[in-house]
Amino acid sequence: MTMNTPFALDWSTYLVLLVGGTIILYLARQPAHRALKALFDGFYAALRLASKALQRSRLLLAERNRDVLLAQGREQAERDLEKEFFEINKFVQRDLGGYPHLQRQIQEQVAKIQDDCERSREVPIAEPDWLEAVESVASLKNGDKNAAVNSKILEQIHSSAIQQHKDTMATYRKESSARHSVLKAMTPYWRKLAYSVDEVGERLKEIVTRSQNIDTHMARFEDIIAGTDKAERALKASAITQFLIALLVIAVATGGAFFNFHLIALPMSEMVGSVQRIGGVKVADLAALVIICLEVTAGIFLLESLRITKLFPLIGSMDDRIRRTIMISAAVVLVVLASTEAALAFMRDQIAGDLSNLRASLAGLEAEAVTHGGVNEWIPLAANMTLGFILPLALTMVAIPLEYLLQTGRSVIGSLFEIVLSALATLLRMLAASARQMGKVVLSFYDLLIAAPLWIESMVIKHKKEREPIDSEHTRSEFSKTQGF
Amino acid sequence: MKTPLTNLVASSRKLALLTLGSLLLLTGGCSDTPSEGYSRGIYLLLDTSGTYTKELHKAQQLINYMLAILEPGDTFAVARIDSGSFSEKDIVAKVVLDSRPSMANKQKREFAAKIENFVSGIKSSAYTDISGGILQGVEYLNEAKVGKKTIMIYSDLKEELPEGYVRNFDLVLDGFTVQALNVTKLRADNQNPQEYLDRLTTWSEKVVEGGGNWSVINDLDKPEALTL
Repeated sequence: MTMNTPFALDWSTYLVLLVGGTIILYLARQPAHRALKALFDGFYAALRLASKALQRSRLLLAERNRDVLLAQGREQAERDLEKEFFEINKFVQRDLGGYPHLQRQIQEQVAKIQDDCERSREVPIAEPDWLEAVESVASLKNGDKNAAVNSKILEQIHSSAIQQHKDTMATYRKESSARHSVLKAMTPYWRKLAYSVDEVGERLKEIVTRSQNIDTHMARFEDIIAGTDKAERALKASAITQFLIALLVIAVATGGAFFNFHLIALPMSEMVGSVQRIGGVKVADLAALVIICLEVTAGIFLLESLRITKLFPLIGSMDDRIRRTIMISAAVVLVVLASTEAALAFMRDQIAGDLSNLRASLAGLEAEAVTHGGVNEWIPLAANMTLGFILPLALTMVAIPLEYLLQTGRSVIGSLFEIVLSALATLLRMLAASARQMGKVVLSFYDLLIAAPLWIESMVIKHKKEREPIDSEHTRSEFSKTQGF
Repeated sequence: MKTPLTNLVASSRKLALLTLGSLLLLTGGCSDTPSEGYSRGIYLLLDTSGTYTKELHKAQQLINYMLAILEPGDTFAVARIDSGSFSEKDIVAKVVLDSRPSMANKQKREFAAKIENFVSGIKSSAYTDISGGILQGVEYLNEAKVGKKTIMIYSDLKEELPEGYVRNFDLVLDGFTVQALNVTKLRADNQNPQEYLDRLTTWSEKVVEGGGNWSVINDLDKPEALTL
């Protein structure tokens, strides 16, 4: 059956074309194989080359990332160490600087306590005077007359002994009382001494803690200097965490800026008009955006001059007087812009109120005029003005996450590029392998198209091989006959 | 209907554009392009023929709605369709809204007051020259050099011309959107709806052949129907 198209052919023509095509393909087999092989080998080689180039680039990038990461880590570790040393220096100057005074105080306390101890020492009581008199009386010869005299003497001795005993006891009590009062007066000195010693102990503990911190930082610093894998891993993990946190804070700040923009865009249209456009954007919107950008810039300069951030190292290294001037200027600009925004927020409230009244009147709602001065009016107004003032000041803090984002972004984005390059290199290698296999498939398919002639060829070769031994045998026998063997 | 997500996307796009714009501004690589490409121009034709006058109070609400949604820089004009509408005298009120929102609001109030006076003292006309009104609207909006040109026809679309008036011209409506609003059915339409359909088809063909876009909005309670 033939089709009624300009290219309709009958089956005999198809057959001729098939046979002819097959013969042509068979005849062109070797050059075609060479061409196809060259083509696919070329693809394979090109893809492999590209893959290797990407892999090399990845390695270079990895090396560069590592250098950047270690340099940043070293800088951070140096900064941490510097901070710790500064703190410990401040501590030594502030607390241990008074140590000589404390030592003198302790020595004075100890001296006073020694004095008091001396003063509280017990003095031995002198022997009574009448002991010798008693011995003399005892050595006298006994007689009536002597006995009477002795008795009298002894009575007098007895009475004087009692008197002396009383005097001695009184003196002893007085001295004991004086000693007790001295010992009592020593108590606050002891307490003061104990407190001073405790204080010294606490301060020494602080030093121990700080020195441990320094040891930790120092160990990290040494790891970074040595460029160990552990340090690199730690820095990479830290960089990713900081990058994500900074990104989150920047996103929040962008939200704040967006809100701030809407707060001042409408009143700006009252000032600069809302018809003119630049690049399709209203001039009023651009003006509002410029104000926000100025606020952020002033905030960055303020934090730079306070040496909180180091986006512009030049500012940080400036002379203190110039730095202070920049700081004051940035702060003044910031406050002025914040006040302007508060005023714009007030204006926005007025415009929004006017628009609302207009819409109400257009909708025929004049009768339901909004009462003026109510809570519903002044609370949003106050909130708008407060936000207008606070948001610019809050936006100044964006410099800190911005610095982190820029610092960590280098290594994080570098790592991402590294992954992408690695994936591309792998993909190219896979494509190269596929190209090689595809070449084999195409060659096989080519042979499949000329399967019939190839089969005939193989049969001919086989037949030829089978005939070859017979022919050679026949030739040998002919040769033998001619030689007369 | 706009979802919060679409609002967010639109706002983000706007912010990105603004950032780009500010960069252009800072680099000094920008020029102060005219705002005509972004402003909107609306020319509203009100049918004042006898059968349609009672619909004008509804038209006033429509005008107030339009006033509420228009922004500084937009152009708005309301004209009546009477026996011969190809005339500036038929323009009831026109305004180019000031670039400052407060002034624009004031202009809107004055515009609404003019419309109020017009509607309260309307006298119906004997004939309905819609083609002349459209031509006047085309001229007005072309002169106004607005970015988006819309002609609204608040009418039953039944044209009746006085003797001697010829309106067999081709409209040139490239870049125009023509909206037929509140196309009421006449008594004859009820007897033979084909008349109503033929009327709509005739105007649609006229507008489309002129290069404009044609739409019919009969349900004015849907605010999105009037989105410009």
